[in-house]
Amino acid sequence: MEIYLPIAEQSMNVFVLLGLGAAAGLLAGMFGVGGGFLATPLLIFVGIPPAVAVASQANQVIANSVSSLQVHWRRGNVDLRMGLVLLLGGMFGSSAGVWLFTYLKRIGQIDFVIAVLYVVMLSTIGLLMLTESLSTYVKRRRNPESPRGKLHTHYLVHRLPLKLRFYKSKLYISALLPVGLGFLIGILSAILGVGGGFVLVPAMIYLLGMPTAVVIGTSNFQILFVAANVTFLQATTNGTVDVVLALLLILGGVVGAPIGSRLAAKLPGVVLRGLMSVLILAVAAELLIELLRTPSSPFSLGPREVSP
Amino acid sequence: MTRLLVALMAGLAWASSAHAQGPRVEPPSTGLPPSVPAESTTPDLIVDLSRARVSITSAFHGESILMFGMFDPPGEVVVVVVGPEARETVLRKQRFLGLWLNTGRQSFDHVPAYYAIAASQPLQRLLARGAGGEILSLEDRMSMVKPVGPRAATELAQFRGGLVEVKRREGLYPAAIGQVTVQAGRLFRVDLPFPSRLPEGVYEVKAYLLREGKIVAAVSRPLPVGKVGFSAQLAGWADHEGALYGLGAIVMALFAGWLGGAIMRRL
Repeated sequence: MEIYLPIAEQSMNVFVLLGLGAAAGLLAGMFGVGGGFLATPLLIFVGIPPAVAVASQANQVIANSVSSLQVHWRRGNVDLRMGLVLLLGGMFGSSAGVWLFTYLKRIGQIDFVIAVLYVVMLSTIGLLMLTESLSTYVKRRRNPESPRGKLHTHYLVHRLPLKLRFYKSKLYISALLPVGLGFLIGILSAILGVGGGFVLVPAMIYLLGMPTAVVIGTSNFQILFVAANVTFLQATTNGTVDVVLALLLILGGVVGAPIGSRLAAKLPGVVLRGLMSVLILAVAAELLIELLRTPSSPFSLGPREVSP
Repeated sequence: MTRLLVALMAGLAWASSAHAQGPRVEPPSTGLPPSVPAESTTPDLIVDLSRARVSITSAFHGESILMFGMFDPPGEVVVVVVGPEARETVLRKQRFLGLWLNTGRQSFDHVPAYYAIAASQPLQRLLARGAGGEILSLEDRMSMVKPVGPRAATELAQFRGGLVEVKRREGLYPAAIGQVTVQAGRLFRVDLPFPSRLPEGVYEVKAYLLREGKIVAAVSRPLPVGKVGFSAQLAGWADHEGALYGLGAIVMALFAGWLGGAIMRRL
């Protein structure tokens, strides 16, 4: 069954889009991160223009994070203060990101930048996850009761000024750190159409040293507002948000997420992370091949304009 | 005075009824009523389209429109469909440090969004005989698009070739357009294929009747292509009310996410 996407200006199979949404939802349910980082490249693979894929995916991220935030908010797993500080950077970052996106689109390099950023990001995360899960797996087999380390290590970054106390996270760190982190994630969000949870969550744990319990909820808080900002700015400056596309992805996600969380409950964490890293690396490899392979035609068309 | 007025009104009524009959190209006035069999070579061509417009609805996935009509034999029929003109920018990829990225660009003005040509005889043979210089093959039409800015001729030819290649790939310059089929010597029909990714605007469908390489009759029909219904509504908001559309998209996602979350917890 085909449906016409009014902003992408092309028709697409409904079930392909629902399936993509379900796959992203599955990941969201399994790992607690929104599957945007996989959904956006997959949308591009099936032929949605990258600009539309990114902007519509940002719209989908809102839905994803609001349903996740509901749960974490109720459980009190949101460090509001940390969330707001992150958000401060996130708003600036995402606005700068949309501006950058618009500029890159105008000079005809947006597709290339999206692909390169995805390759770099996905391969880094994929490799980190793969090595981590492999070493954990090996360690567990040798020594099932591994000793717990320090809560978090102290680096140079902890000497930055403007220190703030984050009670819920049991942290006393410089506000510059979360603001800067939020800023970077914001840029990533705007250009790649992702919430950025898969970068934000590890960064919050390893860089800021936040306790794992509040990380997911707090990141969702920041992602919700950043995604809303990106959606709004993309709609007003580029007009590339396709709500029909976003709605289909959301619907698919509603089906996929509970399946994901049920799967997650059955499989051990190490195996899950190992599987996910393989998946991430596969997408990165596919994108890299696209960049390296001689294209069937070197020509493409930019946006149509009215002749003066 | 009254008689003059009556005559005028009768004339008007005749003109409007003739108009309502459709774009029938009347022969140059010979003094004979049209019903008289054409013993002289009165050029005559009547056409119609199976649809008056291409409506891009939510279920749109390309469409084929039939043009059919009748002509006074002998003769050959050529049909040309031209989409609205715009400036197109062709991007060219090159290998840079092992990666393929866009390194060259060239814009062209007045590029038709869509161009298709069909004929009841092999087109080359018909056009070789002249055709008054009005009917243009795709190659001739594309040689007319104006490049923006100066560039070497060989480079321009490459970009122009690239433009045609991309348009072909998108089905906007269909190469394999069905040929005009003629039945009973005077009825003709041709299928005009339109792909799913179709630029909006008013297209022009033009039919020509050729005799001995000369155009003896031509009929033109506008064919509006546009989104209708829900698709049109959404695209209109996105174009003109970007802020409102953006807010609407956010509210939609918030509600859908909240509802999805609520349903999930029940399961």
